Amino acid sequence: MFPKIPNIPKWGFVSGRISALEANFLPREFFMGIIAQECIDDIIPHLQETFLGDYLTPGTVWEDFSTLADRCFHDMVISIRNDCPSTIPADIFLLQSDYLNLKNAFSGAATFAFPMGTLGHEKLSAIAHGDFADLPGSVTEAGGFGEGEIYEVFPGVIDIFLDGAYLRHLLSLAQELESEMIRTYINDKVLASIVIILWRAVKQGIQTKRYEQYLLPLGDFTSVITELTGIQNPETWQAAIGGVIGDLFAESIELEMDDQISGFELRATNHLTRIARDGKSQTAGPERVFSFLSGFFVEMQNLKLVVTGRLNRIDQSLLKQRLKDCYV
Amino acid sequence: MSPEWIELGRGLCYGGAGLAFGLGGCGSAWGIAIAAHQCAGVLREKPELFGRMLIMLALPGTQGFYGFIAAILMMTQTGLIGGSVLKITLGTGFALFFVGLGCGLALFISAIKQGEASAAGISLIARRPEAAGRAILFPAFVETYAVVALLATVLFIIFLTQPLAIKSLGL
Repeated sequence: MFPKIPNIPKWGFVSGRISALEANFLPREFFMGIIAQECIDDIIPHLQETFLGDYLTPGTVWEDFSTLADRCFHDMVISIRNDCPSTIPADIFLLQSDYLNLKNAFSGAATFAFPMGTLGHEKLSAIAHGDFADLPGSVTEAGGFGEGEIYEVFPGVIDIFLDGAYLRHLLSLAQELESEMIRTYINDKVLASIVIILWRAVKQGIQTKRYEQYLLPLGDFTSVITELTGIQNPETWQAAIGGVIGDLFAESIELEMDDQISGFELRATNHLTRIARDGKSQTAGPERVFSFLSGFFVEMQNLKLVVTGRLNRIDQSLLKQRLKDCYV
Repeated sequence: MSPEWIELGRGLCYGGAGLAFGLGGCGSAWGIAIAAHQCAGVLREKPELFGRMLIMLALPGTQGFYGFIAAILMMTQTGLIGGSVLKITLGTGFALFFVGLGCGLALFISAIKQGEASAAGISLIARRPEAAGRAILFPAFVETYAVVALLATVLFIIFLTQPLAIKSLGL
């Protein structure tokens, strides 16, 4: 893809900031170094050089490391979002915690464990108290409910229903941006997520027809879901999935039974990172922001994997195997 | 040569001078703004890079000066500044107008494009400060064509204001 430069005046500031931040991305060798550490205390000096450096204050509890990494990621997304002329590229990365909080709100919980994104505390509290006026459009579009029924989502399907809404929301945000790269990324991400959701359901012996009812509508992927839910044997899913994700699925189904889904997740994430790297060649623009946040997300995931993995004495070879491709 | 034609020729000549420095100045301001946005973003994270950024930021500003030089030369050669006022024919006026316009356009576009090249260079320096020496080359190549435009303009102005040229351009 050719670098686009007409966006420079609008996106220049945030893109310049990102160029400076990108210099701090960690290479694969760094993660390998952490995995190789035998003593937990030796990990801290390494982490001081990362984006997490400011968050590692004396007395930090190791058990909270994942929360710490999530907070670091969230703070970065919010900070970048404030400098962007359009909030959409950053909003895409805030949606996940929004929908996790929304899940709590639907179950009536008044506290929200995940960092606040585009849905504020007030909106979530209102939903928790039965006021559904501020529900995102992607939720109210859910096809599995008649008019008014959406307010009585029963616990058995809430996960499926909100997963569908989350994916729908991602697709609608991607459509708002005139960026081929972001659309490709989101389309592949949504397709990979659909495959993972349905594959897990099949492995757990759950009827996938229920998923068809509560995940839909999902734009161009509606027919894929209908087709996949009609085939009970995942070994024949590749043709229905199609494209690169279909090829990755075919590779993953050849793995050991227990590694299939995690292997597919890893391959899909690496494929998405490859797409995101195209944004690096742009001087300024929404793709630049999106790519950086995508790379930052992967870096935080890798940090969580290696640090919590070492804390829990997980086998080094397993950690190396699960390590995602770095953005740099 | 009637006085009306002379006045019209003179007007066209100064119109060309105005376009040369006007377009050059606009382009420079635009180019610097493009580089400045990127630069400010980098300095938000790495203020220590200010010294290396400064040259990249200033490069698109040269076109404004080139336009100014072209305009001043037109004024001195036609006698508006110092010396005796030259009788400019309509043909010479037209020629000088288009020389100024061409110069202005070249400076305007090259300044904007140089701003974009500077922004890309700034991005490179932010990621790899040690590449500052190489990063400066990209906008410098764009500068070449602004310099060529200025040289061509200077030569045209000098030749077009020679008595022989004025005579041959008639009216």
